[in-house]
Amino acid sequence: MAQDTKYYQVGQRPHEIFFHPAGDSPMRRRRLPFTRRHLLKWRSRANPKSLRQERALSDKRPFWWTLSLGALLVTTPFLSNSMITIVAIFCMFAAINVLWTLVIGTAGIFSLATLAIVGIGGYAAAGLNVWLGLPWPLMFAAGGLAGLIVGAFLALPSTRLDGLYYALLTMGFAEICRVFVIQLKVLGPTNGSISSVGSFIPQDWFLQRPGLLLGFGGAFILLLMSLLVFRVVHSERLGMSLQTAREEVGGEAFAETIGIDYRRARLYVFMITSGCLGIIGGFYSMFYMSISPSIFSLDQLLLLFAMIVIGGLGRSEGAVIGTAIVVLIDKGMLELGPLRILLIAAIMLGVTLWTHNGIAGIREQFRSYRNRKQSEARARRTEKGGEVMPEEAIEFTDKQEVYYRRFHKRLRDHLKTLITEELIEEHRRAPLGKHSDALNRVLNFFRRGEMADKYAIMRQPEGFHKYKVVAFSGERGAPPRLVDNKIYENINDAYHAVFLLRVNDLLES
Amino acid sequence: MTNTRILGYSDPLNPKAGADVDFMISVEGSNEVDAKFVRLIHGDQNPDGPGFIEEEIEVDLPSVLAVKRQYTKIGSFAQCADPDGKLDGLQSFTLFAHVYPTQRKNERQTIMGRWTIDRNKGYGLGIDPEGHVSLWVGDGKNVDHIATEIPLIPHAWYFVAASFDAITKKASVHVINCVNSWNSRISTVVPFEGDSWVEEELRTVPSATGGDADFNMAAATAWNQQLGKYAAFLFNGKLDRSGVYERALGRDEIKALASGDAPSEKGLLAYWNPTVGISRKGIGDVIIDTGPHGMDMLGTNRPVRLMTGYNWLGADSFHMAPETYGGVHFHEDALTDSKWEVSHTLALPKNLKSGVYALRLRAEGVEDHIPIIVRPETPRAKIGFLLPTFTYLAYANEHLSYEAPIAQAIVAHTPVITAEDIEFKKLEEFGLSTYDHHTDGAGCCYSSWRRPIVSLRPKYRMPAMNFPWALPADLSLLWWLEHAGYDYDVLTDHDLHAEGVDALKPYKVILNGTHPEYYSEEMMDGTEEYLSQGGRVMYLGGNGYYWVTGMRADEPHCIEVRKLDAGSRAWQAEPGEGHLACTGERSGLWRSRGRAPQKIVGLGFTAEGMDASEHFERMPDSFHKRCSWIMNGIGDEEKIGDFGLAAGGAAGVELDRYDLALGTPPNAQLLASSWGHSDNYPLVSEEVTYAFPGRGGTQDAQVRGDMIYFTTPSDGAVFAAGSIAWSQALPCNGGENNVGTITRNILDAFIKDGTLPGSQYTGDEKLWR
Repeated sequence: MAQDTKYYQVGQRPHEIFFHPAGDSPMRRRRLPFTRRHLLKWRSRANPKSLRQERALSDKRPFWWTLSLGALLVTTPFLSNSMITIVAIFCMFAAINVLWTLVIGTAGIFSLATLAIVGIGGYAAAGLNVWLGLPWPLMFAAGGLAGLIVGAFLALPSTRLDGLYYALLTMGFAEICRVFVIQLKVLGPTNGSISSVGSFIPQDWFLQRPGLLLGFGGAFILLLMSLLVFRVVHSERLGMSLQTAREEVGGEAFAETIGIDYRRARLYVFMITSGCLGIIGGFYSMFYMSISPSIFSLDQLLLLFAMIVIGGLGRSEGAVIGTAIVVLIDKGMLELGPLRILLIAAIMLGVTLWTHNGIAGIREQFRSYRNRKQSEARARRTEKGGEVMPEEAIEFTDKQEVYYRRFHKRLRDHLKTLITEELIEEHRRAPLGKHSDALNRVLNFFRRGEMADKYAIMRQPEGFHKYKVVAFSGERGAPPRLVDNKIYENINDAYHAVFLLRVNDLLES
Repeated sequence: MTNTRILGYSDPLNPKAGADVDFMISVEGSNEVDAKFVRLIHGDQNPDGPGFIEEEIEVDLPSVLAVKRQYTKIGSFAQCADPDGKLDGLQSFTLFAHVYPTQRKNERQTIMGRWTIDRNKGYGLGIDPEGHVSLWVGDGKNVDHIATEIPLIPHAWYFVAASFDAITKKASVHVINCVNSWNSRISTVVPFEGDSWVEEELRTVPSATGGDADFNMAAATAWNQQLGKYAAFLFNGKLDRSGVYERALGRDEIKALASGDAPSEKGLLAYWNPTVGISRKGIGDVIIDTGPHGMDMLGTNRPVRLMTGYNWLGADSFHMAPETYGGVHFHEDALTDSKWEVSHTLALPKNLKSGVYALRLRAEGVEDHIPIIVRPETPRAKIGFLLPTFTYLAYANEHLSYEAPIAQAIVAHTPVITAEDIEFKKLEEFGLSTYDHHTDGAGCCYSSWRRPIVSLRPKYRMPAMNFPWALPADLSLLWWLEHAGYDYDVLTDHDLHAEGVDALKPYKVILNGTHPEYYSEEMMDGTEEYLSQGGRVMYLGGNGYYWVTGMRADEPHCIEVRKLDAGSRAWQAEPGEGHLACTGERSGLWRSRGRAPQKIVGLGFTAEGMDASEHFERMPDSFHKRCSWIMNGIGDEEKIGDFGLAAGGAAGVELDRYDLALGTPPNAQLLASSWGHSDNYPLVSEEVTYAFPGRGGTQDAQVRGDMIYFTTPSDGAVFAAGSIAWSQALPCNGGENNVGTITRNILDAFIKDGTLPGSQYTGDEKLWR
């Protein structure tokens, strides 16, 4: 075997920021009010090289959220009017998508009725405002209530119909809403739209800079609220109980077995989300001070779908990143004309082709790619049971094991040269007792092996001299496994059978 | 394999005829078993010998016994009775202990607390699966906890404390590193940061547990339908001084406790100090509370006492500095008493012949023998066969073939196991032998008969070498005594231990079993006195009188041994932990304590190997008239015992050697020695000072078994054949063979009163042939 004599340098300076808490002063940990949760998740370890305590943020997402949303909040007031609008639209769509992610990702319901629910919420709120004079603060409630009612209806078939059929059903539902609104007599003159809707933006600020900023502020708060809803639903009891049911193989059956009512949990998630989407609908109609049937249209829905796919399903950051990309192209590059739809389609195609779970999943994908490459590189330079390489040695707590590997590798290489026909014959003649030096060495090596998979002989209940070969598990309480079914009628034959198996293992190593 | 399982044990193992003996039986798959009382005559089923022989005995025993499944709860812990509930419903409190963790677990380990696992009530201080120190509290609905962030290093002493204030709900956990140059596996050169101090406001206040939980050290309380209340979340490691306050302590007070200061009285509920009560005779299972209420803890499954504490500074033993021996070692897999219900109490007939008996149970094609060794009500025979019950316990349920990677190298065999072994090992609830390690790597120093013992079954063969070991091996000698027509009584190590020389005195001759390895001081004294008062001993075994073994006077079911310093030891006691908790004496080899076995029976352990046994050859001394009668019927060049059920020879397995330097009486005559051992018989480690190659049977003259004879005062004598395989050669050729001839020659002479044959030949001249 060719020895690779080149040694590679191993070890790095960690780029992570570590804190080193002192053991003799108190580390006071704060919790979120009314919960047992900590504000931030920390991870400590004793560095295996320095033995110092290292404390680092284990979940850095709160940090990145604060940084990016903070940047958005700080920079937006300095942008142009059109950009402010785009940012506000981004916030609004991001809020919708975050909630949609809850439905598709957390609850696992493939619903395309998201925008329809937003629209119904919007229409209900706008209608009540325009015709019944409902003051604007109550429009949120009206939208939410409408969303909740529609959600409850739509939720019913969700447990009956499987993915694709449910998607079709909900898509059809959106279309029905659109046709219904257009054909409504009252809305006939406006082609189905309701305009002059009351709003949190004063009438005279509308489309003015202060109005735009206020709109952005509202949309920003909306996004924060939906992120909060996502966090609470996804990571608390409801989301946790659904986690099991989401497992691809037998998840639902397993969840049911251990007493999780995942269907009910799904319904709850769907209804909570629908209520929230209704609220967003109310906001939507206030933001534009009008609402039109285009909200039910298929192209709008597909655009939203593109956002989710690009960002990555099932994660709030995916929904937000995807929305940012699509909104930026769709609304920010108007000069590109229809090309920008193609661009979005191209990105979507690329993302589905090359990533496992959208842009938000790239980090993990890269890590597993790197790990794979790493182990491939190792595999190229090593052999089974061979010496430990420097980059492997960091994984050994007990460095003596590293020497054992070297010693045993070389010992095996030597012992292989001792295996001859004569040696095997010598053992066959007398498996026990005095042996030649070569056979003694080979046997002693075999006998000193580790317990896991070590061969033994099992006396069969049929007779005193009936034996089969087995191998130990090496684990207390775990029984040995049968190596083969052959029955030996003489103990020496059984000893020799084990010897041959071991010789075979040695020569193959 | 099979759906029916029959398991059981007897208590005591060594009843006298006319006494009552309890049988504890557990059966799965059947509500009743057929019971028969049998006398065991031979165990080994090897077709080369007489095979398994039992004799059904009519006694007052129902032919069918009603039985049920019984459960065993393993793990050692200590419990505080707390009848007044002083430790229940604590609001503000502080728990503290010096802790030496040894093994992470994938579940919580409790240091102390009153916690019910299934009801989520109470409080507990422990170590979580990540190795963090954690305090948890629960009110039956919610559980809240606080934990440190860096793991404890195994095998290092720490002080840990957790306090909780019910008003502010503030909880604190303190970890203070107590490693010094002596007490831990690592020393102060290691730059590790062991200390930790975390504070947090909890949202739950612990509620009282009432009877749902007990205040335990090293365990929390679990409950289920079958088992009822039992200990779980068991701890692996040592605990030293510990206690409870009914108030939250400040940092200064915590630091003072960590440094070993006496606890302040204010608010102190309990202070358990394991060093209190240590006497020169060791210590029992009670951990004394020196606090105001005297709420002592009682250990279950024998937490190991007299272990070095957090303040140990290298004292040789607890005799020198008992205040540094507060360590109490807890193991999650310790077992000294299965605590099964009695299934049947058998009244043994007064006139029952002394021997080895068993309750044979059969159901659904499955069979089990629960053995007992019955001594006569009063000694009757001239021959006393001393069955080494200490050895039986020491090897009880050994796991060597399954767990010790070096076992195959020692015995030079591939193990041969049976379906029964596997069934038993699968259960893994009947504890360990003194050859096994607890899950944290510490050796097991206790072994008890209050549990089913698979290795005590008459047909059992030790898997490692595929021949019978201990009781089943000794049955070969018993069969031969029957065959040769000798009248004999049996007695046990336990009887010798309890009664000393009085147990042996009634007999003209005492026969040792194949492997009388574990001896207490009382047994050494008894044997020595017996010999010096004219008693005669036939030492027909190997590696005898080897380990210093102890036992509590009132608890004969459990022996204790600590393996250390030298010898063929399955484990090595940690420094300073070599003394027996049950007697206070130093354990290890008798030879290290000035009582090498050679001083009593002339031979001592020299080599072991299990690949092949060889034969003895006569040595010149055997022709001296003083002892030549022993060789009556043996040819000058005859190979003695080139056959046998233990690896095919009478000289093998474990061998003992004559050595004047180790105390063999100078008047001993070397009758025969074994020849031809392989290199799988290396010289034992206690003989190896400098290590150099060539200490195996083909190169080292000390690797051999000797056969000797010497007289002791008042017409006493010892015949010793230093080989475990000797007695297992007796049944060959229908019991008629040269090993039998020699044994018979000795027995015939030894059972006669008066002077021994050949004793008149004391001169040296002209006496050769």
